[in-house]
Amino acid sequence: MHLTNHPVLGKDDRKTIQFYFNNKLLNAKEGQTIAAAIMANGIKKMGVSRKLQQSRGLFCGVGRCYSCFVTVDGLEHVLSCSTLVEEGMEVYSNLSDPDVRRGENEY
Amino acid sequence: MNTDLLIVGGGPAGLNAAYKAASNGLKTTVIDRWFTLGGQLNQQTQFYNNLPQHFENQRGYQLANYLIDRLRKLDVKILENHKMIGAYNNGSIGVTDGKSTFQVQAANVIMTTGAMEEPDIFPGWTLPGVMTAGAAQILINRERVLPGKRALILGSNNFALEVARQLNDCGVAVKGIVESRNELLSQNDELLCEVDIPVLLDSAIERAIGKGEVEKVYVNTDGIESVYDVDLICIAKGMTPIFEPFEIMSCDLTYQEKLGGWLPKYDSRFETTSPSVYIAGNAAGITNIGGILLTGEIAAASILEKSNAANSLKIEEEKKYLWGELYRIESAENPSALDARLDVIRNFHHETGIQLPVYLDSVFGGLTNG
Repeated sequence: MHLTNHPVLGKDDRKTIQFYFNNKLLNAKEGQTIAAAIMANGIKKMGVSRKLQQSRGLFCGVGRCYSCFVTVDGLEHVLSCSTLVEEGMEVYSNLSDPDVRRGENEY
Repeated sequence: MNTDLLIVGGGPAGLNAAYKAASNGLKTTVIDRWFTLGGQLNQQTQFYNNLPQHFENQRGYQLANYLIDRLRKLDVKILENHKMIGAYNNGSIGVTDGKSTFQVQAANVIMTTGAMEEPDIFPGWTLPGVMTAGAAQILINRERVLPGKRALILGSNNFALEVARQLNDCGVAVKGIVESRNELLSQNDELLCEVDIPVLLDSAIERAIGKGEVEKVYVNTDGIESVYDVDLICIAKGMTPIFEPFEIMSCDLTYQEKLGGWLPKYDSRFETTSPSVYIAGNAAGITNIGGILLTGEIAAASILEKSNAANSLKIEEEKKYLWGELYRIESAENPSALDARLDVIRNFHHETGIQLPVYLDSVFGGLTNG
């Protein structure tokens, strides 16, 4: 849930933008991280663990624990806690081992 | 790219060090991995009433804004969204913005990498809804998002109680502070006054369960089990310095439990075992905001002293004052950390045979005299 009126910081006057999480259109505030934007919509599960497919969500919030991986606009294993949400962004849960990106000269 | 001083990490320690150096004429560059400067200070809404005398007491995020604004008025190169990713054989540091990588050749480096939160594990700790207290604080104060409706806090240090209070003020029902000891770790009674937050001593989380996220938590209090319907568990088991970038710079490490565990060795100038690589802030041992600011400033002053960039008598006077403030603040709020810090410094000087500066006698003497 968005915290529209903060007890210390007051009203949140940031612009509302929209993005997709698993094909669902959601609202976010400009400048939020993807993880925060997902959680603002009442969703805690970002994806599943790679080996046992157990539910995973935000844990450390600062890009160290790698629990909150998502796929962003086709790019796999992006840290949702350390990436800002953008208008129209397409975000998907990672549901298995990510494809390892190949360099330009590999095939 | 060439610079007199490279600062890795634009939190309070790095920003204060940068101001000190740049306002005394050193060509200074600050890199930070985040989109904005300020580090973890950005989401600290609590009021600091014991800052160093040359700062006005204020809330954490206000202090972050002050440090950033003050620095932007100077000729400092600020690179947000840039990470240190390695060191080259020629001594320069590899920096990337995620697209391109370049070398920074710096005469001196201050690394203010900060700290990470210690996890604490129990069955179900990987469920969504279990997070560090720091993550919950980021959500409410920086992201303006409620991480849950009903919460348990695991741990009872100052930070645990601060976050519990902030969650409560934002409308989260904090159902309990779970502490395995028979008393709170925090000595600060004020943190829980005038809020209705139960304290569960002699207690441990046995397990958390739920379908895809936390729904129920079993707490064992002295052999008696209770069930809590909560959707948020915040783990606050203390912090530990982030030292990997110092390993890249070949700095020797030491272990000090009271400073948060493993950390780089450093001397009275906050220089590590790698010449010209300095350390400050929570990376140099977990401390309070005053300690974070002051260690950054002492490191920068030491570099100024070495570079002959400022009047040496003036710098020595300033360092005397800064150490006095560090002693005043840490001995009041965190005496065991100060003791451990002085241990690190003493050991370093003992190993190298370099004498401690005379002005430190009062600091060290103050401690040994009790």
